[in-house]
Amino acid sequence: MGCNASTLAKIHNVDELILETGFSSSHICHLYNRFHSLDKDDKGLLNRGDFQNISELAVNPLGDRIINNFFPDGVDLIDFNSFARTLARFRPVEESLKKEPDSPEPINSRANKLKFAFQLYDQDKDGKISNNELLQVLRLMLGVQVTEEQLDNITDRTIQEADLDGDNAISFEEFKKVRAKLSGHFLASSCLTSDWDLGWGYGVASL
Amino acid sequence: MPRPNKTQIEIKMEDVGIEIEQVERDSDDDTGRHGKTNRRQQNNKPSPAGARNNRNNNRSQPQARNGRRTAVEDDSEEEEEDEAPKPRRGNRKKLTKAQDSDEESEDEQPNRKTNKKGENQKHKEEPNNKEKQTDKKGKGKDKDKDDSKDKKKKKKKDSRYVLSSSSSSSSSSDDDSMSEGEMAKLMEEVEEKKKLVSNMRNKPWRMKRRLAALKEAQSFVEKFEGALGKGKGRRLFAYKKWIKFQRDFDNFKTSCIPWERKIKEVESHFGSSVASYFIFLRWMYGMNLVLFGITFGLVVIPEVLMGLPYGSIPRKTVPRAEQAKAMDFSTLWDFDGYCKYSVLFYGYYNDQRTIGLLKFRLPLAYLMVGIGTFGYSLMVVIRTMASNANESGGDGEDSDFLFCWKMFTSWDYLIGNSETADNKFASITTSFKEGIVDEEENQKDENIHLRRFLRVLANFLIVCSLGGSGYLIYFVVKRSQDFATRDNLGWYEKNEVEIVMSLLGLVCPPLFESIAELEEYHPRIALKWQLGRIFALFLGNLYTFLFALFDEVNQKLAVEESIKNATIWATHMHYANFTGNTSATPPPIDPADVIRGPCWETTVGIEFVKLTVSDIQVTYITILVGDFLRAVIVRFLNYCWCWDLESGFPSYGEFDISGNVLGLVFNQGMIWMGAFYAPGLVGINVLRLLTSMYYQSWAVMSSNVPHERIFKASRSNNFYMGLLLLILFLSLLPVVYTIMTLPPSFDCGPFSGKSKMFDIIMETIELDFPAFIGNIFSYVANPGLIIPAVLLMVLAIYYLNAVSKAYENSNLELKKKMQMQRDEEKNRRNNQDSTNSIMKDLEDLLPIMSGENKASTNKNDLPKTPKGADKQGGASRNGGRVNPEKEVSLAAQNPRIAVTRPPGPRPPGPLPGNPQLTVPGQRGRGPPQRVGRGQPRH
Repeated sequence: MGCNASTLAKIHNVDELILETGFSSSHICHLYNRFHSLDKDDKGLLNRGDFQNISELAVNPLGDRIINNFFPDGVDLIDFNSFARTLARFRPVEESLKKEPDSPEPINSRANKLKFAFQLYDQDKDGKISNNELLQVLRLMLGVQVTEEQLDNITDRTIQEADLDGDNAISFEEFKKVRAKLSGHFLASSCLTSDWDLGWGYGVASL
Repeated sequence: MPRPNKTQIEIKMEDVGIEIEQVERDSDDDTGRHGKTNRRQQNNKPSPAGARNNRNNNRSQPQARNGRRTAVEDDSEEEEEDEAPKPRRGNRKKLTKAQDSDEESEDEQPNRKTNKKGENQKHKEEPNNKEKQTDKKGKGKDKDKDDSKDKKKKKKKDSRYVLSSSSSSSSSSDDDSMSEGEMAKLMEEVEEKKKLVSNMRNKPWRMKRRLAALKEAQSFVEKFEGALGKGKGRRLFAYKKWIKFQRDFDNFKTSCIPWERKIKEVESHFGSSVASYFIFLRWMYGMNLVLFGITFGLVVIPEVLMGLPYGSIPRKTVPRAEQAKAMDFSTLWDFDGYCKYSVLFYGYYNDQRTIGLLKFRLPLAYLMVGIGTFGYSLMVVIRTMASNANESGGDGEDSDFLFCWKMFTSWDYLIGNSETADNKFASITTSFKEGIVDEEENQKDENIHLRRFLRVLANFLIVCSLGGSGYLIYFVVKRSQDFATRDNLGWYEKNEVEIVMSLLGLVCPPLFESIAELEEYHPRIALKWQLGRIFALFLGNLYTFLFALFDEVNQKLAVEESIKNATIWATHMHYANFTGNTSATPPPIDPADVIRGPCWETTVGIEFVKLTVSDIQVTYITILVGDFLRAVIVRFLNYCWCWDLESGFPSYGEFDISGNVLGLVFNQGMIWMGAFYAPGLVGINVLRLLTSMYYQSWAVMSSNVPHERIFKASRSNNFYMGLLLLILFLSLLPVVYTIMTLPPSFDCGPFSGKSKMFDIIMETIELDFPAFIGNIFSYVANPGLIIPAVLLMVLAIYYLNAVSKAYENSNLELKKKMQMQRDEEKNRRNNQDSTNSIMKDLEDLLPIMSGENKASTNKNDLPKTPKGADKQGGASRNGGRVNPEKEVSLAAQNPRIAVTRPPGPRPPGPLPGNPQLTVPGQRGRGPPQRVGRGQPRH
């Protein structure tokens, strides 16, 4: 996979993409190759099935949801640009950079990452993780060995732990708080912080 | 600007290869300096001109490892002097020195001007790509130009291009001796590298690249940090080295832990309680390996190598009468025949003071190993218990956000292998189940009086049944002593003791378990009670066994006395016969024909070995039949059966933790008791533990199902250790008793001919040590000294105990305080939302404010609010309005239940300051009732 100008030239609107996503051009190049290796029938577009062939996503209980996040509403095929845009969220946060106060929030900011994770759980997009949504996730993660009642208990307990305003659902703010707490308590938390986006993002990007 | 020129020159020169650098260097001296000065200024370190020149001169090409990426856009690729690739630069080499690493500084300083050189080098590396490269180069160059003009822009780009702008050079001097300025430079570079290392995580590079860069930076820092520092720096360096070594060594140690993967796998499917058994098993294996090493290294192998061979003396020969059958399998299976007269048992050892060329004092070693086995075991058990106690204090399980944590973060997103994913699923499920059980126990709203009554009742019942079985055992043993004197006994009467014992072992544990249901303990605690009770029952087993054994020993001792006289007489007669007939010295009696005593020690040893072996058989067959066969039947007969076998009656077996742990503990007791009389027993035990590790982990994975209530157990279970310690102590008693009081057999074993076994020590002191040591020994043995020593030890124990109690208390206090603080914080947070009824009313009047805007308000407010408690407030509507103390008191009056929960029959949540609250974390704060109800116990 040569990563060079010719590859870049093939990509539509490279410069814009670079600006928008913050990827370097070699990175873009790399992503592009990856995109093509995923794109089995070379139509320049990816469908859901292509994503499902990634083994990391295939075994992931939330894999389908992650895939869905690549596809905006009502779209079944994505091109490279939106692929790169989605993946840009997984770029690690650069703490060393001084933020210019007036600059817009970068696409890979912590809040955006959390938003992405939050959307994995918030299926009806009402800004809240409700009881039912948690229940669905649990069913995906736990399988058949746990009784319904236990599942209920777990969701209740989870919501109760995180719920601050008493609406029996986890809002994004609360989600953020929990994450902050957790990363404070458990340094090894690997799901949503930078390890995750690193790991997963590059898992997708570099295979 | 000579640049366009230069590039062309370069392109031409490429083919020439060698010359190119010369040109390059020259042009670089012109062009590169600009950029360099730039950088220098930024670094704020003036460097001597000479050094800089040097550096410029010696710039070398980028390394191949920069790879293709660098070729594409090499913003600033500049490297300093390399040691390795230098043959072509001989002319400049005079000044260069080994100081320079082949580092590639990942510094993001803008130094674009020199980048074309890097590209150039690429040309050399990949001549085939020439065309593309030139293309690229031109492009890159343009960019660079722009950048250098507009600094701000450059910076921006820089940040974007971090990925590719691999290295701007950082210099290092090439001189033999480093001047001050160079030192400073180097130091600064080291600093840079350090910064780079710490920032590495944030760089958007590929992993490979990252690793390479990290390695480089680290090796650079390592290399020069030490060289730089005088005194303190050097020490620091050495210290760091040491730390690193320690860490590596720790890693190595961890990777050496055997069976860690196996245990993890079991743990992920069956929970930590089952895993705790396997960890215990592994620990036992480790300990037994040491015992095995001591015993075989100091007793068995010296005897085999240096002792008299088989058949040389009576104790090492099978008697004539037994020789015909000595090699039969049935005989050997009973550890008779050749087995009995082998190095495995006590009787085989000779009483020669020293053996072999090395003058190895085997009898002394034998006694010392016997004592040392106990000493070592005691030490290890107690040490492990102490360190476990430390550990358990350290990691206070944080109950805050327990389920959130599990729910949102338990999946490992890098898992791509479906088998691993299955394991992960299992372990997540298991951990949730463990969490549920723990929660359930916490939430139980209990009728305390009923519970107490039931517990007392259950204990009463169990004590009764224990007492009953104890009496039964006693009774049966008494009867068997009666039977022993009679002759005509039926099969039942002969085996009565065994039958009763195994019946008790069969009936009692399930009985205890069903009685324990009354108590409704947390399963973790219930397991401990169960273990303790079955332990007490099995003590009866032990008691009967020892009782029978001592009977036998006493009998043998009586027989021995008469045989001793008989042998003396026989020898006498033998010699008398010969002396009567001829004057020549009589031929010695054949060792097989010599009359010999019963050798009670070997008998005891054989008993223990037999017991151990039959225990192994029973355990293994039980697993094979009770678990594996059952699982096979249930699995395959289920296709053609009237009811559902899998969920119905037989179903699959559960792993019996208490039974297995106790089996292990009692087995170890047998080993400790028997090892003195049968040194080979330790070897057998090591084999047993090794095989059962594999066998049981296979069996548990293949044919058992997880417990219905998986509970969390600590990985290092001190309760098991406590049982082990008890058994160790109990098995110590009979062995010490026999060593101290019973006379050893007169014709077998290393102590034959002595009146007591420990006489061997006295003998050694007298013969091998100078006289004064004997004196000292007799003084030390004086009761006048021993009693004060014991008193002193008791006092020390008392003192230490008091101290540790005090520490424990203060620890608990601190924990409580922390918990209270956390609760307070949470309460305050909640109160900000909901307490103020007036505000609430206002909100109701302004529906837009209260509902939809909340999220956005928060977003806006959050960064502005000062750090601290206010920031915690989910809604900052009235945040900061009230001062903290007031909020706390406010919190006390307004429990948050009103808001968080749907109405339900629940006692009002406790308030801060209420003693209930101060106990464990979540309990006080009005948990949801549903969890409390929990799943019914099956």
